[in-house]
Amino acid sequence: MNRWLRAALIAGATAAVGCFVWSSWPPQGYVPVEISFAVVGLSFMVAGIAAWQRWPASRLGLLFTIVGYLYLVPVILGNLANPVAWTIGYPAGGIYGAALAQLGLAWPGGRMRSRFERGVIVADYAVNIAFNTAATMFWNPAFSGCNASCPANVLLIRSSRPTWNAINTVEALIGFVITGIVLTLIVRHWRSARGWSRRAMMPLLWIAPAVGAEQILTGNLFHFSATVTYALLPLVLLAGPALFVISTVRARTAGGALGTAIVDLEPGASPGRLKDALARALGDSTLQLAFRQPGGSGYLDTGGQAVDADRPDNGRAVVPIAGSDGAVLVYDEGLELEPQLVKLTAAAASMALEHARLQAEVQAQLEQVRASRARIVEAGDAERRRLERDLHDGAQQRLVMLSLALGMARDRAAGADPELEALITSAGKEAREALTELRELARGIHPAVLTETGLAGAIQALVERSPVAVTITAVPDERFPAAIEATAYFVVSEALANVAKHAMADGAQVTIRGLPGRLVIEVSDDGAGGARAEGGSGLRGLADRVASVGGVLRVDSPPGRGTRLEADLPCP
Amino acid sequence: MRCQTGSVQPCEAILIVDDHDGFRRLARGMLEAAGFTVAEAATGAEATQAVRTVRPGLVLLDIGLPDFDGFEVARRLAAVPAGDPAPVVVLTSTREARDYGARIAASPAAGFLPKDELSGAALRRFLAREP
Repeated sequence: MNRWLRAALIAGATAAVGCFVWSSWPPQGYVPVEISFAVVGLSFMVAGIAAWQRWPASRLGLLFTIVGYLYLVPVILGNLANPVAWTIGYPAGGIYGAALAQLGLAWPGGRMRSRFERGVIVADYAVNIAFNTAATMFWNPAFSGCNASCPANVLLIRSSRPTWNAINTVEALIGFVITGIVLTLIVRHWRSARGWSRRAMMPLLWIAPAVGAEQILTGNLFHFSATVTYALLPLVLLAGPALFVISTVRARTAGGALGTAIVDLEPGASPGRLKDALARALGDSTLQLAFRQPGGSGYLDTGGQAVDADRPDNGRAVVPIAGSDGAVLVYDEGLELEPQLVKLTAAAASMALEHARLQAEVQAQLEQVRASRARIVEAGDAERRRLERDLHDGAQQRLVMLSLALGMARDRAAGADPELEALITSAGKEAREALTELRELARGIHPAVLTETGLAGAIQALVERSPVAVTITAVPDERFPAAIEATAYFVVSEALANVAKHAMADGAQVTIRGLPGRLVIEVSDDGAGGARAEGGSGLRGLADRVASVGGVLRVDSPPGRGTRLEADLPCP
Repeated sequence: MRCQTGSVQPCEAILIVDDHDGFRRLARGMLEAAGFTVAEAATGAEATQAVRTVRPGLVLLDIGLPDFDGFEVARRLAAVPAGDPAPVVVLTSTREARDYGARIAASPAAGFLPKDELSGAALRRFLAREP
């Protein structure tokens, strides 16, 4: 808001109230009534300044200001006891009612919605001015009992209370019709409003009766006592400034609620949840979060409805969400009055979407890393299987044949040449030992028994070779994916090796159970305990191996109370 | 005892089933020297065929074959007996028996002989064992 305009408005309001006090001093009427004039006029003027400040583009500030002046100035003019001033002020006394009706019809956007409504307001002003001016021509100020101190009525053509009364009654009848139309229009506005606008109309519904009450209290149809009129009217009129206060508090609350809504949003919330949270905080139930569809230029909202973000429907407005790939918020046009709130909402949405995007990215990367780790381990397994097979088909096969050939050679040499026989026998022994060592090596690289027979046979073979007495409680007979079988095998193999090396145990137990979707391997011993998953590289490596298939390794090893190692593997 | 050393009986014929030429040659030499008649097959399919034509007394059956493994061949031979008496099937491998766990015991084959322990005498022991 222009600071000159603000200074002028403040100066005007101060001057108006000053003039009022000066013009009514010393107070002649009932003091609370005099004060109520000042309070009502001033509160409209202050609401006008504040509304102008908050909604510079809207006419609401101007309308509040006009109501304030139209209310107070005629009273001042009437107090002046100057014939011209009185003659202007007296018929102008009711015009503020038309301005109040205008404010109600323009709420909350600040603009008249149709030519008809503009016509209604123009008629309201016109009827007010015309009839009051006409009535004034027949009103003798002395009717109000002022006698000598009466200001002269410049317009007076004939002193006639019945004529004045008749004109006022006709005006009141017309005024009733107009007020009825205004109230009907306000209710229709409310009924057709959605989202933010509807919420913004709520206080007006409470205030609309003020417009009607003003008509009833001041019109010339029902004759209320002055006490009733002067006590009720200010309270009714103060509803106007209350409108402004309520809507300001609402916007503030919405701004704060936006922050809370984003903070409370659970991580990874869907766009639908984000939209709901924003709509709740903003108080606009019609809020839509729409995304540009890849390829075409169309938008779809979170409910899957097509949205024309380039040409929004009547009563809707669009704001792009910064940093998103073509996401927009479509909101109730009434919110245009609160650009700051719209900006905040878009910023909150931008942050939340960015957060969700980053989270999805991290998740996808994590998935990739997991998959690649699993692939690396599987490739390692496959390589070891291949190596074992190559040894079996190659070197082992050759050593077998060498051994057999040496055996045949020995048979031929038998008896003929004892030295040669002894030499060949020794060579055969060497060949057989080489074969044994090679078999052990191949088994260490990859246990053929695992490929050949699955877990049950492989675990049995492990247990048979263990120097510690091992009991197998349970091992499923069925086959599992190669990576799972290999992991389970390495868990048991490493655990039994640890039992033999460190545990000083008398016995150990192996249990492998196939549960729905899982394979649980458990190796426990009655040894010294004190093993730590983070400690030895063996357990660390085993934990990595288990994690590579998406499993979890748990080590429970209290000192002195044995070790229990459990691997929980996901198993389709 | 069904077969006797030196007698010319069908049971003295041995079918060597192995995809490795070198091994077949070596084994043939060894077993012929030990007095057996030897026939050869390089795959499981050839083996089931050869059993019908050769009608051997013993089949020395390598577990690792290119088409189906020795266990499967043994199962097929047992399912469709190729003669009376049915041949004694002996599984063999460069690996040891424990590398195959319970599969050997579960197989209808008469037993397992590691390749490096192959000898005429070892086969005769299998032949001597009554089914």
